[in-house]
Amino acid sequence: MFLELTGLSKRFGPVEVLSDVDLAIDAGEVCALVGDNGAGKSTLVKCVAGIHAIDGGAITVDGETRIISGPRDAAALGIEVVYQDLALCDNLDVVENLFLGREKVRGLVLDDDAMEHLAAETLSSLAVRTIRNLRQPVASLSGGQRQTVAIAKAVLWNSRLVILDEPTAALGVAQTRQVLELIRRLADQGLAVLYISHNLNDVFAVADRIAALYLGRMAAVLDAADATQSQVVELITSGRSGSLGIGAADTNGARP
Amino acid sequence: MALPPAVELRRRNRAALLEQLHRHGPQTRAALTEALELNRSTIGALATDLAESGHLQETTGQSTGSAGRPSTLVACVPQSITVAAVEIRADRLRFALVGLGGEVLERSETALEDGDDPMTAVAVITGGTAGDADEAVAAMPGLVDEGTVAHSTELGWVDRDAAADLEAATGREWQVVDTATAAAVGEWSRGDAHEARKLLYLHGGRGLTAGLVIEGRSQRGGSIQLGHIVVEPGGRECACGLRGCLEAEIAAFGFAEDIENTTLAAGMGDAAARNRLRRSGEDLGRALGAVVTATGPDEILFGGWLRELYLSTAAPVRSALAETTLPHLRSRLRLRTPVLGDEGALIGAAETGFAAIFDRMR
Repeated sequence: MFLELTGLSKRFGPVEVLSDVDLAIDAGEVCALVGDNGAGKSTLVKCVAGIHAIDGGAITVDGETRIISGPRDAAALGIEVVYQDLALCDNLDVVENLFLGREKVRGLVLDDDAMEHLAAETLSSLAVRTIRNLRQPVASLSGGQRQTVAIAKAVLWNSRLVILDEPTAALGVAQTRQVLELIRRLADQGLAVLYISHNLNDVFAVADRIAALYLGRMAAVLDAADATQSQVVELITSGRSGSLGIGAADTNGARP
Repeated sequence: MALPPAVELRRRNRAALLEQLHRHGPQTRAALTEALELNRSTIGALATDLAESGHLQETTGQSTGSAGRPSTLVACVPQSITVAAVEIRADRLRFALVGLGGEVLERSETALEDGDDPMTAVAVITGGTAGDADEAVAAMPGLVDEGTVAHSTELGWVDRDAAADLEAATGREWQVVDTATAAAVGEWSRGDAHEARKLLYLHGGRGLTAGLVIEGRSQRGGSIQLGHIVVEPGGRECACGLRGCLEAEIAAFGFAEDIENTTLAAGMGDAAARNRLRRSGEDLGRALGAVVTATGPDEILFGGWLRELYLSTAAPVRSALAETTLPHLRSRLRLRTPVLGDEGALIGAAETGFAAIFDRMR
């Protein structure tokens, strides 16, 4: 397992946002994280990304317990997050955005050629054909293209886990399909992917496993091959489905 | 006639070397030695031999950046072996002349009007080139068995001896494969699916067909009439005479263009659109359940407009699949969309031709 969360807890004052959450993500798989608004999905992401300090439990990367106390720690471990608002700079071009803050230099000047070459290589390895000109400003790109740039930026740094927070929320139908195919390709190339979405179709289209959070607790982690839509809906809305979930006989990894 | 063992071995090695270069592109002699597990001097002799016969050329490769003489790359000469590939659809015909190594040497496309016979159009589009090609392969949507199109919703053919008709029209022999099988071969050899031992490709055109290839090879009996699996007994009447076929139930005709709008409407809360997508997804999942149970593939590719349908209805498709297949069959099953898109069938038809050529060389 690349990343393992055991007994993860997080509270904001008296409010317990995450309670005793277990989750493991392996290289080469897409793990989807689903849950209603306020179930704790974004908080969990922020704990892994080093934005929130955890109050209990442990984060293990490659079998070693790690304390992630900032985004730089997360990046050093190969964990990259693509947020909903993408955090791209509109006035910079595609290559400049990809290397923003981590530019390659040769002597005292920027090594533009090397960066452009690497950018082109990364995009082609992801079979991205929608971005033709790497020197156009990001402001001129469509929503789907911007999402692609944001994802490519996360992949460029030998990252091993990419966390995507609602990457298709603001996209049209055709662009959503391209981003879904891109997410699948990331995992097929050996990355671990944690994918957060509200849309169950998108989840079923790419996920190998589906983890359902309910009121800050892990209701169940299912193999997508065995899961049905109604099961997942029940887990999201009531925290249990048949013998699965919180308080059920077979707790499937979630503690009552 | 049996050949002496040494000659026989040499032939096999020649074929293996050419196939390696054809599939994986130019490489150094050292890489070839490793890939083919042959002796260095054997590779040297074979390469010289094949260079003399005009199949190979050795080029100075790029410097690897390390010290020393840059290594020479062995590459195949595209013009030395060629395959003519055509893909026939109800409304268009596409042709490519593909050279050894996968390079497309010629390429053209023509629209077909109602009433045009595709066979005559093939003779026109291939012109003089098809006659010179070492192998010619035609991909057609439908149930294909050994040169005969047993049934095709898209072309409206039943039991047509397509291979014979093509030969009559063009004056050369043709191999006939179904579009889905051709696309599966294409995705396996030139796409992203080479890890799949049993690859099932679903093709959505004017009808729905599927093709199963094993280790990238088309199989007799691997052509599957996906669209005529009955998913609703006693359901809607289908053009084929049965009731409740997948094709009839998801109203394949015209639906292809509608998926985008339906998905958009469903996203905005249109209950009828949601219902239509959910039902189509469930029907597709159920039909797939039957195919998966019968054939046990390890990867399924959703091609043609089924790509759009799958990505819009993945939840009902996979739910229905989970409810209709055995756990050990679905646990190792990967569901993906093709990377070659619309090109898959044409590329795969050419690759089918090359596979036949390499088989003959052995």
